Amino acid sequence: MERLLNPVLILLLLLVALLSLTIGTLDLEVSSALANWFSNLFTGKALTREALIVGEIRLPRTLLALVVGAAMGMSGAALQGLLRNPLVDPGLIGASQGAALGAALVFYFNIFPGLGTLATPIAGLVGAALTLFILMGLSGSMARPAIIIMAGLAISTLSSALLAVVLNFAPNPYAMQELVFWLLGSVSNRGLDNLAILFPAFVIGSIMLLMQRKLLLGLSLGEQVADSMGLEVTKRGRYIVLGTALLVGSSVAVAGNIGFIGLIVPHLMRPLVRYRPDRLLLPSALAGAIFVLLADILVRQLPPERELKLGVLTALVGAPFFVWLVWKERQRWL
Amino acid sequence: MALMSIDNLSVQQRLFDACLDIHEGEVLGLIGPNGAGKSTLLNAITGLLPRSGRISLGGQNLEQLGSLQRARQIALQPQFIESVWALSVHDIVSMGRLPWGDSDQSIIRQVMEQANISEFAARHVDELSGGERARVWLARVLANQPRVLLVDEPVANLDIHYQQEVMQILVDYARAGHAVMIAIHDLSLAARYCDRLCLMDNGRVVKTDSIGAVLSSEILTPVFNVEVYVDLENQPPVVLAQ
Repeated sequence: MERLLNPVLILLLLLVALLSLTIGTLDLEVSSALANWFSNLFTGKALTREALIVGEIRLPRTLLALVVGAAMGMSGAALQGLLRNPLVDPGLIGASQGAALGAALVFYFNIFPGLGTLATPIAGLVGAALTLFILMGLSGSMARPAIIIMAGLAISTLSSALLAVVLNFAPNPYAMQELVFWLLGSVSNRGLDNLAILFPAFVIGSIMLLMQRKLLLGLSLGEQVADSMGLEVTKRGRYIVLGTALLVGSSVAVAGNIGFIGLIVPHLMRPLVRYRPDRLLLPSALAGAIFVLLADILVRQLPPERELKLGVLTALVGAPFFVWLVWKERQRWL
Repeated sequence: MALMSIDNLSVQQRLFDACLDIHEGEVLGLIGPNGAGKSTLLNAITGLLPRSGRISLGGQNLEQLGSLQRARQIALQPQFIESVWALSVHDIVSMGRLPWGDSDQSIIRQVMEQANISEFAARHVDELSGGERARVWLARVLANQPRVLLVDEPVANLDIHYQQEVMQILVDYARAGHAVMIAIHDLSLAARYCDRLCLMDNGRVVKTDSIGAVLSSEILTPVFNVEVYVDLENQPPVVLAQ
């Protein structure tokens, strides 16, 4: 059963991805359109209209949703394992607020004008990196995971305050509206070049997390036991914080806030891996990708004139789930 | 030659110049009042606290070992353990193999037999009673197969049946060519199961000697600040506050 989990999730993911490429206002043959689009990439063969729609619109949107979902799912699983707490959200670490602040500056002050549409994600990434450096500086080199998270919380509060300042002094209502919509989180209208920013960060961040699976398992019995087993909680824990920040920061930089995935998905996957925190990373990444993509497909079914943002939908589904989680935890302690 | 020898081990403000030897096959009991430094000593040996002094294991200086190498030789069973996740008993025992990076099933099976928990290998640890859990934590640290096993208050919350069972498992482990150091409050159990005792007070080692030499009313009374009744002739020996 447990061995089948990842293959089943991969199969599901492929099916949902195919669905995402197929669904749209225009009915078209996905395989031939994709084939045409790829042959255009390599041979320069003329693009058909179908190929243009699938390759330039649906494919980037699908891939972005997949990578953002995977990043959120995996970072949530890793951070919950590190802090030994099932109610932890990767947003705690401050990187997402930092990314949002960086992106906000682009909307108002038009920094990095030479980068065109990539200005927002790159500024977001810079913002996330800056918060991370401040975080590491504030928590110091000997910090235990709990201290790092406290520092993260402090920095995310600070970033939120600065973001409020930026919103307060919006140069005009349109800029504010644009920014607020961007913050709500979406994967629409973003080209494949966004993936060039997101994907490398995703790969590096995932590898950093996957390399610490032993630590996550050892931490099940507490930091003292993990340390006594030679797992170097302080040193290796930092890799988890860094990896998480990389995943979350790059996701928010590209797609805005798509919340609750990192909280919910690990929770749903946990019983399926017999609660092993080390085995939770991959299924959480796969399930996160499936969830976000399904949510995006749902968003696309709604009337287009007033688009419901993807992040709003995940929050609408996720928040009640969070309430239920707290309720369940409360029962445990009564 | 001693398996492990500790010279002038100190931890800032908590442990002062502790000197101690432990031999192969031996169970050494650490006794002393609350705050005497027993847990500090165990944590410092394990490398969990910044320490000064010298510890050598089989003639090799511990500082020269990497953290994983050290963890293969010395394992610690802390006083308070809890599993945050509802892991299976088998998974928890397997964690003892983490320092080795393997999951040697024959060792895992063997220690589960030893700790008498084979029958609930597949159950989740949060469904077990306190006594059953204590044996699961013990099996985890036995699966580590350390040369020196450090155990902090292994029987504090157990009924008398499980107390005996856990102490006997520890004695058997020592006799199989290892060394076991136990911090323990129950002086009667210490007298019954340990080979030698190390009495600590205020972060210092007061005396390390045979059971008969350490457990006497004259030595214990000033340290514990209470009249202590000692009868080592009795079977089992009795050491109680009067």
